[in-house]
Amino acid sequence: MVKKTSQQENATTVIVDEDELSDTSEEDQTYTDLSNKLAEIRKDKGVLGYILRSTTSATIDLEEPEKIVEYALFSSQALDSSQEISELFELGDADSILIEGKENNVLCMTIDGNKISIFMEKDANHADILKKVSP
Amino acid sequence: MSNEVYALALKSTLQEIQNVCPEVSNSFIFKDGKMLAKDENTPEKTVNSTINAFETITERAENIGGLEAITIQSAEGKINIATINDFHLTTVSSKEADEKYVNTLTRVLIPIVIKLVEKIQPASTDDEALTTVEPEPVEDDITEEVVDEITDETEDSNDEPTEEPEEETAPSEPDEELEQIEQEQTKLDEELEQTETEVNDEPLLPEPPVTQLIVENLGGLLVPSDTVRIDQEVIAQWNELYSDNKISEVEVEALNGKTTRCKFKQIKKSKDAGKGIIKMPEKIQLTLETASGELVTVKPVVEEQK
Repeated sequence: MVKKTSQQENATTVIVDEDELSDTSEEDQTYTDLSNKLAEIRKDKGVLGYILRSTTSATIDLEEPEKIVEYALFSSQALDSSQEISELFELGDADSILIEGKENNVLCMTIDGNKISIFMEKDANHADILKKVSP
Repeated sequence: MSNEVYALALKSTLQEIQNVCPEVSNSFIFKDGKMLAKDENTPEKTVNSTINAFETITERAENIGGLEAITIQSAEGKINIATINDFHLTTVSSKEADEKYVNTLTRVLIPIVIKLVEKIQPASTDDEALTTVEPEPVEDDITEEVVDEITDETEDSNDEPTEEPEEETAPSEPDEELEQIEQEQTKLDEELEQTETEVNDEPLLPEPPVTQLIVENLGGLLVPSDTVRIDQEVIAQWNELYSDNKISEVEVEALNGKTTRCKFKQIKKSKDAGKGIIKMPEKIQLTLETASGELVTVKPVVEEQK
């Protein structure tokens, strides 16, 4: 009898732990994969840098480190406002957002909860970059 | 530059774009945070919310040198907000839409319309007051409208074309501003006086009807060479239309564009009545370089009753 109880208790605990571990592991894996992809893309000609954010971590690689806060705020605002616009027209979740500036362009997207912003020169091929990042 | 003129031209253009490309479900144009024109499908609330969202992105876009365009791609479709000559054009298209086709339509048509309106508007402003009043009798309300229009135009004409009127007038010194207003008022009074004079002189008559008739020869010893003969029914219509005014001549135009004025009488022979013909002496035919069997247009020359 004692043995059975012990098994039941252990089983319950194990199941919960497995789920949590599995989710965290998947999220971490996606974040790591994206981080690796972005590091590769960063080497491409015309790519000025990127910001990758998950709920728990962030990776930033930019040519102008002193402007990290400004870039991060812009990136966050662009993603939120674009999602808002997309919902206004009932188009659902935005897959990608291309923001064309007078000097540079920014490609933003959300993949499995990870928010990505890639800063690039005007003549950089955003479609090619999008292909490389997309799962 | 009056935004109303832009609005009218741009709204028509947006509607045409949607007619040509039905995959474009929504479209609107805004400038300086204010909507200028929208299609019929898009609620104003949605437009305003989009403008607000766009403005929040623009505020932080200094890092990329200012915003030119935003393209939001989703599984269901695409939203594009493009900046064209200080105007922001928003188009929402379904996933079936041909991106190149939509871009060609919007990014070519809209700038053309904007340029056209800019070119036409300054040329028409001088005559606008007259054309506004011309078709109707002068009334107090209309006079007020004319004053308003002239005021708007005078303000516009003093502004730099690239800047907003509100921003221009603000920094003026109070005395200078007062003096400027007085000058404008005097100018307006003069223009209004001139407008009223011209309007009063203008005959408020309906446009003369143009009738198409076939030429037939008119000959004989006692036939005057400067008079054509026209169907009684046509003459009766003219008399009905201009009952209090005298019609003693008609203007005849041949297909080659040549015109002449001549006297007219009704066709005598009853067998020729109602056939749609004009009996014309040879001399007039020579003047018009026309001949029997050819078509001419005829309209009455109305003399206003004194």
